[in-house]
Amino acid sequence: MIETKSVDRDPSEKSNTKVFVLVFLMLCVLTALSFWVANSYLMENKVVGWAAMMMVSVAKAMLVILFFMHLWWERAWKYVLTIPALFMGLLLVLLLVPDVGYRYLTYSKDRRENAPEPVVSELTEGDSVIPISD
Amino acid sequence: MNSKASPSDSTKIAKGDKDEGSHTHIELKYQPAVPVPKGKLAVWLFLSTEIMFFTALIGTYIVLRFGAPEGTWPTPEDVRVLEWLGAVNTFVLICSSVTVVFGMEAAKQNHPGKAKKWLLATFVLGCGFLGIKAYEYNSKFEHGIHPGTPRSLLYDRADLNYLSAVKANLDAEILKIEKKKTALASESVHSHGGGEKDLILIRAGLVQWTQKTVGETESPMVRQLVLESLAHQINPRRPNPRVETYLANEAADVKNQIAELLGQQEVVDEDVRQLQERVNAITKELGLEQDETKKSNIEIRLATATDESKAAATRSTEVVDLLAPLESRIAAYQQFNQIHDGLNEHFHLRLPMVIPSGNTWANTYFLMTGFHALHVLGGLIAFIVLMTFRLDSSKAGLMENVGLYWHFVDIVWIFLFPLLYLF
Repeated sequence: MIETKSVDRDPSEKSNTKVFVLVFLMLCVLTALSFWVANSYLMENKVVGWAAMMMVSVAKAMLVILFFMHLWWERAWKYVLTIPALFMGLLLVLLLVPDVGYRYLTYSKDRRENAPEPVVSELTEGDSVIPISD
Repeated sequence: MNSKASPSDSTKIAKGDKDEGSHTHIELKYQPAVPVPKGKLAVWLFLSTEIMFFTALIGTYIVLRFGAPEGTWPTPEDVRVLEWLGAVNTFVLICSSVTVVFGMEAAKQNHPGKAKKWLLATFVLGCGFLGIKAYEYNSKFEHGIHPGTPRSLLYDRADLNYLSAVKANLDAEILKIEKKKTALASESVHSHGGGEKDLILIRAGLVQWTQKTVGETESPMVRQLVLESLAHQINPRRPNPRVETYLANEAADVKNQIAELLGQQEVVDEDVRQLQERVNAITKELGLEQDETKKSNIEIRLATATDESKAAATRSTEVVDLLAPLESRIAAYQQFNQIHDGLNEHFHLRLPMVIPSGNTWANTYFLMTGFHALHVLGGLIAFIVLMTFRLDSSKAGLMENVGLYWHFVDIVWIFLFPLLYLF
């Protein structure tokens, strides 16, 4: 019969504990890193900051999946389950990219009129001296 | 053993079937496609569907968030999001992921007591996460940030719709205080008196003034500025020099108008006084006069003087009527312009606020964090159920399955944290 309980995994438990503690510390450091990025000069160019934070998130997720969810030690079956799901997830996000671009780049008159006010005002400070009409 | 055994297993079945002929039934054996326990396979399949579920939610947020042109999405300060609290919650969830792993390891090594302790620690951390989440939700509800009507106080732009919402809200608030006042004994109301005074000044000096200006002005620019300044005074989102300059200019203009009207008032009051004196003098003269023909003559003069006096009095009240809104506007300007955290914060009011895309933000925020919190809740229930068992090595597989689910919940939060708190 097929019994997989824990045969696939690293037999030396002590080293496992060490790995888990190490992963935990890395996760803490990465969380601090993304918090630092959010308040650093990297956010001056928002796209750079966002990309950096997403990369940190992906790294954290990979650490959790590989070590806490034991995929590192699993056999080849892990690819059967994870790769299709990953593809579906990626596909879903990538399908949305044109939508984001369309929304961002085309700002129709109708949408402009019904959209929330852009905070960046079209007036400069000099223009704003407007007397009250009576 | 493991999957390597399966091909030989299946051939054995085939051979056995042939050897024994038609005497026995075909012996069916379960041949797993993947060499893992059924429970673990089920959890992984469930998690693959969960990945897509949360990807859909996060994808919706991404389209709305990154499709919004610069400046039209609320900043964390706008919607009372505390970054450090989100970071603390991330840390709490990471800790809980570690404890659940240690719990599983303990169960695998056949230490049920240790396993239960780690599980309890995970449960406590999960509760801590939900507690912080509840605190965050509450602080948003307190500021009128709800997912949509009827409770939401958020408006996309400062327009007439917004103005009437502010007016309705303020009127209701004042009515409430008045009702309380009549219900309570008069001496205990003094503490509320100041609040009511402020509310009435807000109504006269801000809301009614804005209504008046919007109704009277021809310039759409002034209309927009006065509405924007109302929104800015209720809930300033960031320093807005445009509005501040407008308010300062307007205050100077209002002061000039008041000075002019006060000058007029002086003249009119002098008129009123003189005319009153004339009426008095004529009345006196009338009393002294004996001649009937002269008397009727004086009566006509008296009637004219009285009419003139009445007209002057009307003019005087007209000037007073003109002065009243200007004076309350200037009083409101002087009293509220120094308040930098906004009227809502300062007076603990719940007036409608302008936050562009605020409702869209609230919808996506509550949708994503709400579903995530429900998943956390599900995990906590699973932990409670798990803790009723004796967690020896036979339960290690079960603990691993629950752990897998819990780690997935952690991963979702790993993505939600930067997206919602830091972007």
